[in-house]
Amino acid sequence: MIKLPEFSEDQEYRILRETAAAYAAKELGPQAEQLDLDPARWRIKEAIAKAEDLGMLAALIPEDYGGGGLDDYAFCVALEEIAVEEAGIAAVLLAHNAALLPAAMGEFKALITGVGPDAFPVCLAFPGEVSFADGKVKGRVPFALNAQECSLITLLPGGGGGTQALTVRGDAAGVEINAEPYQMGLRAARAGSIRLEDAEASNVISGGDMAGEVQRVLMLGLASIATGISRNALQKAYAYARERYQGGKMIIEHQQMRIFLAEMLAAVEQGRALVKKACEDGGLAPAMVAWLRATERACKSATDGVQVHGGYGYMRDYGMERLMRDAKYCQMYPMTSQEALLRLLEISETG
Amino acid sequence: MGVKGLSDRGRQLLLDFPPLAALREHDRKGIDEIIGLVEGCAAYKRDVALPMALDIDEQMEKEPEYFNWDMMREACKYNIFSLAIPKAVGGLADKYMISGMALAVEELCSACGGIGLALAAHSLGVAPVIASGAMAHWDTVLHEIVEEEKRGNPVLMAYGITEPSAGTDVEEPEFLEVGKIGMEAKKTKGGYVLNGRKCFISGGSEAKYFTVTAATDRSRPLETWTTFLVERDMEGFSTPRVELKMGQRACHAAELLFEDVFVPDSHVLGYEGDGMANGILIIMAASRGPVGAIANGIARGAYEHFLAWTRERRNGKRPIDEDRIRMSLADMLGIIQENRGLYINHSLVGDAVFRSAFTHPIFLSAFLIPRSIRASKPYAALLNSYYGKAFVNILFRYFIKDDEVTDMLAKASLAKFNCADNAMELTSRALELMGTDDSVERRWVEKAFRDAKLTQIYEGTNQLNRLVVYNTEIARTLKVEVPGPFKKGVS
Ligand SMILES: Cc1cc2nc3c(=O)[nH]c(=O)nc-3n(C[C@H](O)[C@H](O)[C@H](O)COP(=O)(O)OP(=O)(O)OC[C@H]3O[C@@H](n4cnc5c(N)ncnc54)[C@H](O)[C@@H]3O)c2cc1C
Repeated sequence: MIKLPEFSEDQEYRILRETAAAYAAKELGPQAEQLDLDPARWRIKEAIAKAEDLGMLAALIPEDYGGGGLDDYAFCVALEEIAVEEAGIAAVLLAHNAALLPAAMGEFKALITGVGPDAFPVCLAFPGEVSFADGKVKGRVPFALNAQECSLITLLPGGGGGTQALTVRGDAAGVEINAEPYQMGLRAARAGSIRLEDAEASNVISGGDMAGEVQRVLMLGLASIATGISRNALQKAYAYARERYQGGKMIIEHQQMRIFLAEMLAAVEQGRALVKKACEDGGLAPAMVAWLRATERACKSATDGVQVHGGYGYMRDYGMERLMRDAKYCQMYPMTSQEALLRLLEISETG
Repeated sequence: MGVKGLSDRGRQLLLDFPPLAALREHDRKGIDEIIGLVEGCAAYKRDVALPMALDIDEQMEKEPEYFNWDMMREACKYNIFSLAIPKAVGGLADKYMISGMALAVEELCSACGGIGLALAAHSLGVAPVIASGAMAHWDTVLHEIVEEEKRGNPVLMAYGITEPSAGTDVEEPEFLEVGKIGMEAKKTKGGYVLNGRKCFISGGSEAKYFTVTAATDRSRPLETWTTFLVERDMEGFSTPRVELKMGQRACHAAELLFEDVFVPDSHVLGYEGDGMANGILIIMAASRGPVGAIANGIARGAYEHFLAWTRERRNGKRPIDEDRIRMSLADMLGIIQENRGLYINHSLVGDAVFRSAFTHPIFLSAFLIPRSIRASKPYAALLNSYYGKAFVNILFRYFIKDDEVTDMLAKASLAKFNCADNAMELTSRALELMGTDDSVERRWVEKAFRDAKLTQIYEGTNQLNRLVVYNTEIARTLKVEVPGPFKKGVS
């Protein structure tokens, strides 16, 4: 194991980190590759059920609503630890929590307590694609995490600046969910597209910048997941570099390998610092910056991690190539990086 | 090939490509001939590869042992397995042997990196039979490939140098010297007994013939490194395992296992002990440019699908109407042209090296002898004899000079790592711009992203290729020394 630089954190976060890490090491690590390619999905369901025992499914929801009552940073700490073992599972938990947020914001207590352990997705429907009138929703959501076996869909028809959220039951008439035919990364959070033909909205929630808040949480969470991926890449590549002999020495002695590893280490530091700052300061802009940078760095960490492993890195059994696919998906969702950059400037202009 | 597959614009882009355009002024026929090869590959792309690529990729994830023989049988119609085989024995390789190969490979990989690799790995397997001048096998093995291809039966070859504990180490003399080599070939009466393993061998589970390297003395791998021709049905040979790869899945990466495999003396390609200089280095010098072309094909495929995506209307808007997308498209086109320039630079140098040998009248005169004699046992024995090998070697030394091969290796390695890095950059960027949009084009680009990563790893990692460029071009400490004639055993 390589030692990460000191990082100051309150006791309560440290404890949470350890709990989440213990869960991940026990339930996810040993079967990470199977969780990534789990067509029957029973492993995923079991892993999620165990996460629920830790309160991770409603971690961000206030305690008097039956949630875990974690603050943003605590949630991010837990996600990072989980993502160190399996980013897809962390993404399931993140999307689920984000989907519950509007209900909490709109004080729909019954909605939250009524949700079972089935994962359900948040869909950020862009303006123009989904319309809502007379209690019915019409349109199409092109990509939503956790879509495949969701019991409830949270829609944000206003897109970026919406103050309204709708929920639609996954089994309601007029709802058609099509699994994404091939999902490259974060596969445990099985995505799909959703077609809504005059589907009945079970709840209409309004108040506050719901879409902005959901986006903020998604970005913080993905930044933490990405940081977890960088850490995983670092650990795996470091361990491998110390075992592999090539060019007359262990490859850890080749400068270029050391530089790759140091870059990964820097990526972890940077990701953590940005997430911490964004949690402390609040607001969408810092979360966006954290997401932009942490996911970009994670893509590099994972790609370089494969490179350190040479041909072995390209094969499933070493667990490195999965990180490359997952990291890329953290960067592609919930919007593209250029869209985020344009939005970032817009937010900063209007203050 | 005579099939037209390129669009008018695609053809024009090739004809306008400056080095090709300039050459065409002097040699219209020669250049039109290699563009004809690309035409055939473009037809294969359109009719065979594109319709099945996504399905094969998905199928092989679920079922790693699966192999699609249809795509290989179909390739026979387009003579893709003869691309690297000299015209003298019925193949397609002529004056522009490497350029033709590279352009063809780019075209195939623009459809699918995996299908492209399955087809190209065969030519890599063929290369040592050609480059070592092992003419005794030209009229048997290479002839069989060409003839069977006409009947629609793919007879495949694969090249195996990588071992479980020596990947980078087998790619460079300095490292081979200190590498931990597992493959051993013990001299015995009439031949050698091979023991050991090779891993990650592209096309290894389907090939009928293999060109593999082994040390005759594992404690001195560099001095005793030797290339052998191995046949699948030799006793003790097996391919026990295929890998589950992230990308380029249509082609298996297989493990080759040798358990006391007897290989006759006649199956030593070149001399015992020249497996690095006359084997790996010449092969890498010839093939790394085409590997750059694989990378560029993958990049171009991603670009084509990305471009199609930008034209799709979503919510009443088209991405292509935004200037940031237009600029990215321009960047991508820039990358593709730059890559093509790099590998053409290499392959034209390589063509010149091989052309002087393979199209020379002295050389061709060897093929005036009737085939019935050339394919006969006594003639093969003569070519495989001490004097026979020495004669071929003198001929090759006359045409192929150390400095030329070194220069070819430098350019090849430069093209390889640049094209690979650029392909990663392009595919990665395209995905970043598309996001998780649920378009089929995104699936293609995701596949290209997974495919592209491999080009930074195989044929020597990009780090190794950078070292080779330094050693050959900057420090000039690496020189390919093609062995002289009358070499006997290991000194
Ligand atoms: C899908 C696939 C198909 C392949 N097909 C074939 C094939 O058909 N035939 C064949 O023979 N081989 C094939 N290969 C093998 C390929 O060429 C090797 O994987 C490659 O050469 C790297 O070797 P390695 O995997 O052992 O990595 P290693 O050599 O172990 O390298 C690990 C890391 O260490 C670095 N490193 C190693 N040595 C040095 C050094 N001296 N200085 C600095 N850095 C160093 C490398 O850059 C890399 O980042 C294939 C590989 C794959 C993945």
